[in-house]
Amino acid sequence: MITYLLRRAGLAALMLFGLICLTFIIANVAPSDPAALAAGPDAGRSQIEQARREYGLDRPLHEQFLRYVTDLTRGDFGRSVANGRPVGQDLARYFPATLELCLLAMALGVLAGVPLGMLSAVFKDRWIDHATRILAVSGIALPPFWFGLLLQLGFATALGWLPTSGRLSVFTEPAAPITGLLLVDSLLRGNGALFTEALSYIILPAIVLSLPCLASILRVNRSEMVEALRADYITAARANGVLRRRLIAVHALKNAMLPTLAIIGLRWGWMMSSTVLVETVFDWPGIGLYAVSSAISGDFKPVMGVTLIVGLNFMIANLVVDLLYGTLDPRLRDA
Amino acid sequence: MSHTSRRAVLLGAGALAALPASGWSFERDGNRKVLVFAGNQGVPVLDPHVRYDWSTRMIQQSVYDGLLKYVGAPPRIIPWLAERYEESADGLTYTFHLVGNAKFHNGDPLDAEAVRFSFERGLKLNAGIAWMLKDFLKPENIVAVDPRTVRFTLDRPFAPFISYVPWWYIVNPKQVAANTVDGDNGRRWLTENAAGSGPFKLRRFDGNTLIHLDTVPDYWKGWPMGEANRLSGVIYRLLREAAPRRAALQRREIDFGTNFSPDDLEQMARLPGVAIENHAGFTTFGIKFNCQQGPTADINLRKAIAHAFDYESLITIHNGGARLMDSPFPTGMAGHVSVPDMPRKDLEKARVFLARSRVPNGDIELEYVHVQGLEDARRIGLALLDSLRALNIRVNIVGQPWTTMVARGSKPDTAPNMTSVYVTPVGTDPDTVAYQYHRDSWGLYYGMSHYENPEVWAMIAEARGMVDQTRRMAIYAEVQRRIVADQPELFGMIANRTWARRDYVKDFEFSPIRFTGEVDLYPLWIQG
Repeated sequence: MITYLLRRAGLAALMLFGLICLTFIIANVAPSDPAALAAGPDAGRSQIEQARREYGLDRPLHEQFLRYVTDLTRGDFGRSVANGRPVGQDLARYFPATLELCLLAMALGVLAGVPLGMLSAVFKDRWIDHATRILAVSGIALPPFWFGLLLQLGFATALGWLPTSGRLSVFTEPAAPITGLLLVDSLLRGNGALFTEALSYIILPAIVLSLPCLASILRVNRSEMVEALRADYITAARANGVLRRRLIAVHALKNAMLPTLAIIGLRWGWMMSSTVLVETVFDWPGIGLYAVSSAISGDFKPVMGVTLIVGLNFMIANLVVDLLYGTLDPRLRDA
Repeated sequence: MSHTSRRAVLLGAGALAALPASGWSFERDGNRKVLVFAGNQGVPVLDPHVRYDWSTRMIQQSVYDGLLKYVGAPPRIIPWLAERYEESADGLTYTFHLVGNAKFHNGDPLDAEAVRFSFERGLKLNAGIAWMLKDFLKPENIVAVDPRTVRFTLDRPFAPFISYVPWWYIVNPKQVAANTVDGDNGRRWLTENAAGSGPFKLRRFDGNTLIHLDTVPDYWKGWPMGEANRLSGVIYRLLREAAPRRAALQRREIDFGTNFSPDDLEQMARLPGVAIENHAGFTTFGIKFNCQQGPTADINLRKAIAHAFDYESLITIHNGGARLMDSPFPTGMAGHVSVPDMPRKDLEKARVFLARSRVPNGDIELEYVHVQGLEDARRIGLALLDSLRALNIRVNIVGQPWTTMVARGSKPDTAPNMTSVYVTPVGTDPDTVAYQYHRDSWGLYYGMSHYENPEVWAMIAEARGMVDQTRRMAIYAEVQRRIVADQPELFGMIANRTWARRDYVKDFEFSPIRFTGEVDLYPLWIQG
């Protein structure tokens, strides 16, 4: 088991290094001048050159890369040229909001996707199966920014039930964060009003973010359940008089969950990257929005930092899934 | 089954309705009101000596004071921290006399030493505003004569000096010293904190999300709306997308918003309780030709394009909210003259110029680059494409991020044939615009045309050092005529500045010298 773990972790580290190389190259082939951005729009040549020296942009590219990698090993993501702040500080500031949004979206996706997948498999080719198919197809096909705008128009503008965007009302000044997740913090502090307020703000972006994830979980779970329900061991169990409910919820679901788990792992990574769109539409102050606003201004260190965090999340999620696989299915442990 | 689902729907709807609808402005803080202003651009660096753009300067102007201040339309400079100033006859020495009651937010008095320190800091950091004065003013030539008098001695006369002074905000030297780390002159700390004396002080600052400002109750300059109507504060809220910003104004989640499209504004004008601010601007739009490389290095081709372009399309694209440029200088700027024979659409003339050019039959493709995401600039590109068809010239419209576009435009070899650029003059002095056509501006975003005319350059250099204003303005009149004759760009239009606000927001004061979107928050208050 330990060798298995080490092998997976080693592979993840290698992939991370590849990602670092790739983001560095992409950021540097882009034809823009970060020094000019740092110096400001009306800056003269001397100011631009001063900014270039200050950010080490006058050094040869391989030297800049070495320095970037060395800094990364110390947890230093470099400095943003737009505000001069360490990118690590900004990531720490914005990541909890993204994590909270993704956790809730994932919870929605799993809690709705698995039962719906199960139902559509049990009632295969009945109306509920058709209805969930429509949900699944639209979940995959709807562009998140468009769907987000639509929900805003409906629930915020027309009906006025939910706020348009943001994480809290601009008038609410929350206390210092404990975990950084507002829903959790408000519960820990026993502040019901803040919890309700935070929930009203997070619900729409969480729904938008969860939809593609819900759709894939639903479809995978359905097809696996359909397979499982046809299997011999189910027939045998049924012949032995096992209750139908138990047959579906325990025997079949447990087997169908393995591929579903893989999809959940993958979707976690996708979800982190989708925050770029969803957070922009809802002005959700997370790393996705941070990446977009940095990219628009041509500030690449933050974009590279966010890419690494998203990549890291992808890898960790896959590692966890691999480990869970091993735990759930003993045959895979030595594979 | 249908029974259950209906109940579920009702339950769901009920649960959603029970959730609180967010802040219906105007929100109160105690018995005072809070104004919420929404924009699409963050405030990455609050330090007044390091950075400025419209959103940044709006907050800087609120928490800091300058010696002088720009107000009104046409913009004029009024005394602020300095109650008066004198200029020596040789144009070298400026003496400012400070008001006696100004103090910083922490109670420290604002004296001549603070002024000296702030200008010195701005010059030494050599970022943001430094370019305005650094070639004419040395830090050691700023002297605090007594606590209320500060004297600036320039290296050589620099006529635009006063027009830049309002943008040099005064910071509290003691707070800067207390927060200086590794000799950074307080730079790190001032990125997210303020050490000012302005009408507002910082309450919360997250430049990427929201900034909450509180009014200073005993502001040294007093409050124009009277103590009873003074706001509790202002919240600057970032709403990056136009649709949510519009929805928020409609729902009274915000009281004031900027960066709406002409179509959005037209629709919002019909909403009850919404007022539209629509004012003649100062920001010029031009299509810069590459005057050094490629087909547009040929003046005849440039003139052919300038005479083929359908200028009316610029007005149409802005739903009437724009006026055509009649000079390289915007109307309202000192020294502006309406240049006769400003090119307008005249296909016959265009064909004559084309025939004289190196490509008499057209049959070329020119690249037109605009900032990605700027819809107006893209539509102007389409109008250009349509206009140049008559000359058998194809146009390749390319949207690029601002930084990419500027990087390309920094050298004649890489500068596109045509680049669309908006420029807001930083001061009212004609030199601010004229200098964009000087050799020293090559490589900067407004110098992308790499315009070359040594005689014009010499006139521009001479005029900025002149004391005699009449002679100076005569030179600028000639400079404007010569630039138009050389056609380094297609002189486009000046779009109106627009905002949408709730009608209970009172005493908005427009000044075109402020950047697009930027509002002076000081006089605003909420009625009712």
